[in-house]
Amino acid sequence: MVDLGLLLHGFGTVLSGYNIIALVLGSFFGIIIGAIPGLTATMGIAILVPFTFGMTPITGIVMLLGIYTGAIYGGGIASILIKTPGTPAAAATVFDGYPMAQQGLAGRAIGIATISSGVGGTFTALCLAFFAPILATFALRFSAPEYFALACFGLAVTITLSGRSPVKGVISGLLGLLLAMVGLDPMGGFQRFTFGFAELTGGLSFVPMLIGLFALSEGFRQVEIILTAPKVSAVLKNILPSLQDLKKCLPAFLRACPIGLIVGITPAIGADTAAFLSYAETKRASKEPESFGKGNPAGVAAAQCGENASTGGDVLPMITLGIPGDAATAVLMGALTIHNLQPGPMLFQGHPEVVHQIFAGMIAANVVFVILGLIFARFFAQVINIDRKFLVPLIFVTCMVGSYAINNVLYDLATCAIFGFLGYLMIRYDFPVAPMVLAQILGGMMESNYRRAVVMFQGDVSMFLTRPIALTILALAAFTTIVAVRRQRAALKQEAAQLAALEQSSGQ
Amino acid sequence: MPLVSMKKVDIISALCVIPICVYVFYESGRWPILPDLGNPAWIPRGVAAVLLGAALLLLGKALTGRSLTLPGRLEGADRARVLSVAALTGVYVVIIERLGFMTATAPYLFGFSLALGERRWSRLILFAVVVPVTTYVVFDRLLNVPLPRGLFR
Repeated sequence: MVDLGLLLHGFGTVLSGYNIIALVLGSFFGIIIGAIPGLTATMGIAILVPFTFGMTPITGIVMLLGIYTGAIYGGGIASILIKTPGTPAAAATVFDGYPMAQQGLAGRAIGIATISSGVGGTFTALCLAFFAPILATFALRFSAPEYFALACFGLAVTITLSGRSPVKGVISGLLGLLLAMVGLDPMGGFQRFTFGFAELTGGLSFVPMLIGLFALSEGFRQVEIILTAPKVSAVLKNILPSLQDLKKCLPAFLRACPIGLIVGITPAIGADTAAFLSYAETKRASKEPESFGKGNPAGVAAAQCGENASTGGDVLPMITLGIPGDAATAVLMGALTIHNLQPGPMLFQGHPEVVHQIFAGMIAANVVFVILGLIFARFFAQVINIDRKFLVPLIFVTCMVGSYAINNVLYDLATCAIFGFLGYLMIRYDFPVAPMVLAQILGGMMESNYRRAVVMFQGDVSMFLTRPIALTILALAAFTTIVAVRRQRAALKQEAAQLAALEQSSGQ
Repeated sequence: MPLVSMKKVDIISALCVIPICVYVFYESGRWPILPDLGNPAWIPRGVAAVLLGAALLLLGKALTGRSLTLPGRLEGADRARVLSVAALTGVYVVIIERLGFMTATAPYLFGFSLALGERRWSRLILFAVVVPVTTYVVFDRLLNVPLPRGLFR
């Protein structure tokens, strides 16, 4: 159970000194990153991780939590004002947010989006604080076979559910696993796949690779498309929602909060799915479903609330089991590791005060972005107009500086640049990037626990089938893979039909 | 934008992945097998075997016309822009330690914005000067993160 004393102490730490400044700055930058179409929460965290190197672990972590929650919320601003989601997760906000803006209610829509995001985010952060210690206590029963099974499950889910093609997801994930093996053998200590380079003995530099794959690759994507987002001309007024507005949105909150939480906990699906499901469910249950899509405030509330309600769910498996729920939490996990905090049940045993500070930081981050969102709404709206011809080079330089800052070696810079371009090619040609990074994290866990299990049970691999928890997790992994393959077949059929129709029309 | 088949890309990708799998089998065959610690090659070989299967599946799908589609090819000005930025970034990585952060970043930013189509010279120059100086001050002076000094060492 959550330790209220530690949680209150956590609030005391988070809300004092440099921590609160870091949280506010993180939220502020997070909202800006979220509001600019094309920049994602994952990219924001990846770019700004190096800024936290010189900070104490908790200061750095609350800053990153601020960026994470702020960016997820900020995506809705562009959805409302220019009909272009700031982040993929904010796509569902467009349905009713943009029609509201067209009716001259942009300020009201942003106000509702802000409060709704805060409600969803705070609910999910409270759930995280409540459920995480329970799950972590349960996970203490796990031994090497269970951890191996868990890593397999995490890999199976992220690989097969990412992108349009599970085959490409599998290739991306397995290449990530092979990359995780570069360096020293975890038990034998001999060199593997280093090609004689001394720099590779310690393995590939994880953070530069992360920045390259998640941030620089998106930068290249921006170079390709040079987004010409429409200029924001809307005048924002009446931003603070009325009590009547909030009363209308209450049913949407009640549906979106649990939906967001459950979707968040499910690995590999995140805020975008949560937003769409919350929107669809609110519309289905509404007495006037025909008003959705025409500027119904409940539509904005459902999408934004569901989106932010997924954040705590995403963090839950990461912090309790060491298995990231999505790409953004994978980057967060990398950041925790840099600060010498290894997520998993042992973190709850070894550093309970830090865990409760993270919970407090997550709750506080959701309150902070609401305050900032309401006060600086007009400023965040103008951020969308920022010139890409200057923003994109700035992103590149920040990525480079961040990569160099880790160890002050050129090798890290080159790693970032190489993986940045590789990541761009992967995104361009439909190979999902997230499985490659998640496999890097889970690969070590999978291999070392497999080897430990084999040693523990003297080479008898049947222990994976005779231990109930390990067997259940492996069965779940197999089930998820089968479902994903079936889904891919259906998608392939649809695309083949589209292609055939295209060829037919071009032939005529 | 018309949909384009990814057949060629899928074939090239599969052909790039297959040698990697073969290499994993080759290198893992040379690792020492330590008593009581299990065979270190099991997991890498298992991964390589599944990867090989996935690559062959991708290849098979591409050759039988079952590749997925993507919205439009990268060509013309878009391709030139991406390639010029990639080349600029490559050169930047090579020269940054020799020339130093500020000396290398200023022309990099200038060329980058130019490649993206910015033609207002005053803005270009201002951007190329202000950003490196500000970044240097923030990282090197305020955050104590040393950046390459190069010529100014």
